[in-house]
Amino acid sequence: MTLAPEKKTKKPRKLSMKARYEALTRGLDWEPSYVTKEEMFPHLEYEGIKIHDWAAWEDPFRLTIDAYTKYQAEKDRRLYAVLDGFAQGQGHLNLTDAGYLNAMKLFLQGVTPLEYAAHRNFAYLARHFAGPGPRFAALCQSIDEIRHMQTEVHTLSNYNKYYSGLHNWPENHDRMWYLSVPKSFFDDALSCGPFEFLIAIGFSFEYLLTNLLFVPFMSGASFNGDLPTMTFGFSAQSDESRHMTLGLEAIKFLLEQDEDNVPIVQAWLDKWFWRAYRVTALVSQMLDYMLPRKVMSWKESFELYFEEQMLKGLFEDLAFYGITPPRHVADAVQEKDVLSHQVYWILYQFSFAAGFTTTMPTPEHQQWLSQAYPDTFDTHFKPLWDKEARNIASGGRHFTRGLPQLCQVCQIPMAFTEPGDPTTLCQRESEFEGEIYHTCSNGCQWIFEREPEKYRQAWLPVHQIYQGNCGGPSVPEVLEWYHLQDGDAGEYLGSRDHTNWLTWQGEAAAETASHENKAGA
Amino acid sequence: MSITSLGEYDFPSRSRQELYGDDQLVTLWFQDTMWWCSPVMFRAPRAMTWADFWAQMIVPLAEEDPDFDAATARTWTLHGAPFEPQDGMTLTELGIRHKDVIGTRVAA
Ligand SMILES: [Fe+2]
Ligand SMILES: [Fe+2]
Ligand SMILES: [Zn+2]
Repeated sequence: MTLAPEKKTKKPRKLSMKARYEALTRGLDWEPSYVTKEEMFPHLEYEGIKIHDWAAWEDPFRLTIDAYTKYQAEKDRRLYAVLDGFAQGQGHLNLTDAGYLNAMKLFLQGVTPLEYAAHRNFAYLARHFAGPGPRFAALCQSIDEIRHMQTEVHTLSNYNKYYSGLHNWPENHDRMWYLSVPKSFFDDALSCGPFEFLIAIGFSFEYLLTNLLFVPFMSGASFNGDLPTMTFGFSAQSDESRHMTLGLEAIKFLLEQDEDNVPIVQAWLDKWFWRAYRVTALVSQMLDYMLPRKVMSWKESFELYFEEQMLKGLFEDLAFYGITPPRHVADAVQEKDVLSHQVYWILYQFSFAAGFTTTMPTPEHQQWLSQAYPDTFDTHFKPLWDKEARNIASGGRHFTRGLPQLCQVCQIPMAFTEPGDPTTLCQRESEFEGEIYHTCSNGCQWIFEREPEKYRQAWLPVHQIYQGNCGGPSVPEVLEWYHLQDGDAGEYLGSRDHTNWLTWQGEAAAETASHENKAGA
Repeated sequence: MSITSLGEYDFPSRSRQELYGDDQLVTLWFQDTMWWCSPVMFRAPRAMTWADFWAQMIVPLAEEDPDFDAATARTWTLHGAPFEPQDGMTLTELGIRHKDVIGTRVAA
């Protein structure tokens, strides 16, 4: 048979955006006929969450795949144009200082792999939710996240040509001690059921703490002349606002579906607030110590983005559902004056085994710290730097040769102090089936004791090194297993990045001067 | 409370004592200085004497601290309780278990 040629005059009927969305998403849903719904969606019951009406899910963004790809392609075009221009114009020389890139090394090693992990798990949600609305939202987020991973890699690869520490990030993430903090956090979420993951990552990570976790890196970039990262940040911004809306919709949906969901969600919130908050420890030191030009202090950012916007804004709304602020929030608030200092002190003495460098804060930097932290810096942390200054003057550099005791849950060295007492380290000990486990805080201990069967399996880097699973039992063997190259680790002053930077800045200055001379002649 | 899971969920600890053979993990906590960002963890033979543990493990590490003096008198704790280490006794004889935390301060 032959098909009649289409008549040119007859235009195809155009659907409205909303109708197209309905047709392309919900319209594609079907009732299973040869398996049961439980067989088709086998992971929806065991967490105890009750969903009565999947159709009640409000789709916050009525995007279709064709509209979605069109927007994303447009954003990618803009980003890659900036990256080309940056590479051609030797844009890296306009950074505030090569030391700034330590923040981006941490970002590439610690955060970029999380984008990939998020991509994987939102794909899992897109498979396992029984409602087409949340399935499609999860699918879009899954695609966003892999795009974030790729664009971050492409953005930062511009620096890899000239600077250390950026050449082996996926392996760094899997192997290195400080990166087990974000990695184990996400692995913890990946091994949850679909609803807990939604609260862990969709809500706690993407909504509650995103302004403390992700945004500070982008603001740091814009304050320190890092145009590519800043452009990436803008390109991710519209996705992130979609993710935030999804996170908020998710928690409200679960709370509205059944009253029995409320205590389950509350417990997840209690757990995931603290888990995600502990990951922000790395961000806190980045803001206060790694950025040559400061955006704002960790304390200010915690007060603004968490205390003001979340505790006062969000949790007042959630009270309507019977949800209270996360269990250990008071400890986090109390820690805002000490957190970044304690974390940088860890990184400073262990940076011989890291994919970035550290250095003692200069006198001007210390002045800024003491103004930003009037109640704690001069009393508790400046004395340590003064001692280190004397140590350096007599030829030392404080690198700890031993290995730190780690928290069984957050995996950070046990450097945090008792709430309200910055002079006493916080040690919590729990016993489970005859073995003892240590945690760094009330929050981590509570999490451990709720699910000891899970956390006793933690891959703790120090313990693994001592078992000989990381290249060998000695520090040089471990560093080789990390694939650290000359210049990746250690002290910033005199490092490969630092000396190159000084040379390049000198050359650039000489070149400008000679241009000016010619112009004057 | 026990874990919510799809099936049976019972896996061993990834840092149980048997994984270290005749050794065990021991943590030392310098409680009167913040020079060390956190307590320090060692892998030590359970049959090691306190004298060896002190001389071969603690002192070489602690000398990184310019204020450390191996000769000063110290007080000790073992999971919070006062503790008197004996040079000739092994870690096991002293009651130091796998992953235990030993605290120390310069005596007043
Ligand atoms: Fe992302
Ligand atoms: Fe996101
Ligand atoms: Zn912890």
